[in-house]
Amino acid sequence: MATDTKSTPDFDASKVAEIHQHLHSHLPSESALRVKALETLLVDKGLVNPKTIDAWIEAYTEEIGPKRGAMVVAKAWCDPEYKARLMRDAPAAIDELGFLGKATAHLKVVENTDEVHNLVVCTLCSCYPFSILGIAPPWYKAAAYRSRAVRDPRGVLSEFGIDLDVDIEVHVWDSTAELRYLVLPQRPAGTEDMSEEELAGLVSRNSMIGTDRDLGENIEDDG
Amino acid sequence: MDGIHDLGGKEGYGPIEVDDDDSPFHEDWEGREWGIAQCARTPGITIDWWRHCRELIMPEDYLGRPYFDSWAQTDFSTYIEAGWISEEEISAGKSLSKDTDYGEPAVAMTLKQVLQEDQDHAVRFDAEIETPPVFAVGQAVIASRHGNSGHTRLPQYVRGRQGTVHAYNGAHVFPDLSALGQEVHQHCYSVMFEASELWPEAQWSQDKVFLDLWESYLAEA
Repeated sequence: MATDTKSTPDFDASKVAEIHQHLHSHLPSESALRVKALETLLVDKGLVNPKTIDAWIEAYTEEIGPKRGAMVVAKAWCDPEYKARLMRDAPAAIDELGFLGKATAHLKVVENTDEVHNLVVCTLCSCYPFSILGIAPPWYKAAAYRSRAVRDPRGVLSEFGIDLDVDIEVHVWDSTAELRYLVLPQRPAGTEDMSEEELAGLVSRNSMIGTDRDLGENIEDDG
Repeated sequence: MDGIHDLGGKEGYGPIEVDDDDSPFHEDWEGREWGIAQCARTPGITIDWWRHCRELIMPEDYLGRPYFDSWAQTDFSTYIEAGWISEEEISAGKSLSKDTDYGEPAVAMTLKQVLQEDQDHAVRFDAEIETPPVFAVGQAVIASRHGNSGHTRLPQYVRGRQGTVHAYNGAHVFPDLSALGQEVHQHCYSVMFEASELWPEAQWSQDKVFLDLWESYLAEA
């Protein structure tokens, strides 16, 4: 295969299926070596700069992650007007905090109540609101969660330690389009005197996906 | 495509491997692949074509290899398909092309530049279109009985099932055509399905499943 025909994609699915078969036998079996092979070749061709890869890793390790989502949640708990804006137009509301970015331009916030528990999944791939939650946890991208969240949500929740009362409806959001979902968990009781920053410390990543519910368990007992 | 990727409702995948480790990357190579995927794109590629190339990974590799490994495999395939790299070059571990017309080599970006690019990646997929939406919020709809053999975002588990339009999302880029390089906008709705409509064991359940579905996936109930 010559490389002098580089161009835009042909969108040829049969060709790609054939490429995958070839790669199955010809790429190294270890994931680390496969990624190394990809990086080496793309860098040699000048298509990718390794320092830019470093910068993306740093961005999603140090700067962009679930702490951002937790700040959005805590602000919504403390400021009813912010919460109203968040529920009406989430991209604009997270942009106020500088968190609008990758995969959040069509963000929707779904609110947990005493009657409803929300759970987010992507059954077809693993869509996730990167710029506010960072990199998705491994279980979110695994076949067990993707297959079961829509069919056995209560069984899934129980494996995360949540025994949901039968009267509470589960609403599962399957991210089939470019919309992304953020669960707004309930503010735990007994947190009236806590600052927004302290409250953000209670908000787990899983609570914003829906695999955690009672954040009162995260309050440190200094009694 | 009725592929291995369409996992909703499939059974036999076992319990969730709940993991309290919040670190974004568990192995160095996962971070490298994340970074590669952020800065490398063939011209003319669409997100739906990339997704389709991932769906086309052989089922044993799709299910059997780690998540970011499948991203690397997808990147390999999209670059090869568009002629930017070859399998011979992968084996050689270097460029074999005499063609020097790859433009200027990619420059090194700083953390600040990358964070700015992340903000710039807040891409909207909606647009105004002339035709009004066919369905109204609250209306009963039935999802199409069939997908198509290319890329589609109509999962098997709702096909032929009745739901209710929960919200109108605007006209969004239609993925089935976007995976063929065509940008066509179509009305998109959030549709609510009762769990009892979808699953035999959920007969008494009040739970609900919401999907964002395009107009041509739906018919009036």
